[in-house]
Amino acid sequence: MEITLLFQGGLNGVMLGLNYALIALGLSLIFGIMGIVNFAHGEMYMLGGYVSYFLIGRFGFDFFTSIIAAIVIIGLLGMLFEKSIFRPLTTRPREALTSLIAAVGLAWVLQMLAVICFGDLDRNVPSTFKGIINMGGVVITKERLVTIIIGIVLVLLLNLFLLRTRMGNAIRAVAQDKEAAALQGVQVSRISALSFGIGCALAGAAGALMAPIFSVSPFLGGEVILKAFLVVILGGMGSIPGAMLGGLVLGFIESFGSLFFAVPTVSAITFVLIIVILIIRPQGLLGHE
Amino acid sequence: MNKRRRVTYIGCSAFLAFLFLIPLITREPYVFHILCLIGINIIFACSLNTILNIGELNLAHAAFMGIGAYTSTLLVMKLSFPFWFAMPLAMVASAIVSLALGILTLRFKGAYFLLFTFLFAELVRILLSNFWIDIFGGIPGLINIPRPTINIFGLFRTNFKSNIDFYYLIMVLVIFTIFVMRRIDASRLGMIFRAISQSESLAESTGISAMRFKILGCAIGCCFGGLAGSLYAHFVGIITPQDFSIHAVLAPVAYVVVGGMGSIFGPVLGTTFLMVLSNFYLRQLGLYELLIYGVIIVVIIRFMPEGLISLPRVVASWSKKLPGGG
Repeated sequence: MEITLLFQGGLNGVMLGLNYALIALGLSLIFGIMGIVNFAHGEMYMLGGYVSYFLIGRFGFDFFTSIIAAIVIIGLLGMLFEKSIFRPLTTRPREALTSLIAAVGLAWVLQMLAVICFGDLDRNVPSTFKGIINMGGVVITKERLVTIIIGIVLVLLLNLFLLRTRMGNAIRAVAQDKEAAALQGVQVSRISALSFGIGCALAGAAGALMAPIFSVSPFLGGEVILKAFLVVILGGMGSIPGAMLGGLVLGFIESFGSLFFAVPTVSAITFVLIIVILIIRPQGLLGHE
Repeated sequence: MNKRRRVTYIGCSAFLAFLFLIPLITREPYVFHILCLIGINIIFACSLNTILNIGELNLAHAAFMGIGAYTSTLLVMKLSFPFWFAMPLAMVASAIVSLALGILTLRFKGAYFLLFTFLFAELVRILLSNFWIDIFGGIPGLINIPRPTINIFGLFRTNFKSNIDFYYLIMVLVIFTIFVMRRIDASRLGMIFRAISQSESLAESTGISAMRFKILGCAIGCCFGGLAGSLYAHFVGIITPQDFSIHAVLAPVAYVVVGGMGSIFGPVLGTTFLMVLSNFYLRQLGLYELLIYGVIIVVIIRFMPEGLISLPRVVASWSKKLPGGG
């Protein structure tokens, strides 16, 4: 019995971890390219959830369409915000701080718009994949399994894009050194719009993925952004494998921790653990100075 | 220059006189409730500004306000200290915790420091809401916090039950805070802080120990954050861990950024503008309150990144662009 419990916890940990990793990847990407701590990132997750709610719940589309739609819609939205709000700030003094507060303002606006347009109720999204799979006592719903698989696919696609394509190389170049990249002919403004879009799209995808499992509400963003911060800190700022590892570590801590301790104790343990890790390795588990 | 300075002084004194005479215009308790909160937030925004001036953003600043609030409340309620001792002790407590945190975390710069302070803020909130509940009161927090009383040889006494009395107390402390901040700003210390914020390595090359002064700057800021916390607790009468969470620091950061960083008048202007706007004008809009508030913040930052304090300059540059303008 004990061993199945561990597997059960492990699977839930993987699912939570992938979810956190997707959100944190976007946050980390945006920070790496533009130096912006995007406080509105949680709201992108929330809006992704609503895309899924409307497409699946109201208009009867299938699960995969809703995820692709969330990626496209939230990605475009992110690019719009980058162009209209954040990019003009990057040339001004104290840009890190002003863009942070602009993001906070944007988060409030999006949250209240969601309350006004969609209501402040928790919305349930009907699940597409019904039934469970029983693997020798370890029980997982098909829905969660599909979520895990799509999460892995998305992370792999992002990795492939960043490592193997011209555009991906340009993004990594800008993250390393903006000026040097510009000297090599990389159009930095286009790259920053693109990375902002991709970052937001990842959060949107995570929101749409999780919508059938958890419910959707306008206030999702606030909690999610805190988790994403933890993952970024844990894994290392701007490191993609770091965000993956950080996400999984946080997912496991939460999933296993809640098997043995009460929730507040788990969060206190998590924070103390992360602070200790940071004091030993300030750049995070896989980050570099 | 001299004439301009005189105009500033006359303007400031006139404004101060106006603030002291507000009770002659209205005695509405709600107005004074909001004015008191504005005063507390001005102290808080100024203390945040001190830390911003050394080039760092402290996301745990509300947690330091919380440390001040809880220290002062517990001293008064559990150990029956008078408020007048508890308040300075709250300031000291915040400063001491910030020294400890500063030594641990100020090695990390920029975004890392930001994230570290974020962790600390969340840790404080979790500890206050879930542990030692018989002392800290858990998630519901502490209630029935008494207001201070004063009795000077029976000549002058008040229990500050009226918001107008409390308003005068807060105003004196706001003036005290602004005075201290101005003095620091004009001193050698202020110059060192500015040097560090502009270029830490350049400052260090002239023999300034950046780390030491950053820790000092943080401690000064957190000390006044503790003052704001103590006042908040005894004014509102209820404190909960949620009041001092990471979300509670974002609004004051917005005050500072919207008002304009650097000068002490920026935070004062920003706090007053945004709080008057939200409490007297946007309140009746219900759901649309936070929406419009957010839009205003984004628009101001987008078009005036140096804050409201740069308004005259921005207007001047616009009027130049207009056809026929100067």
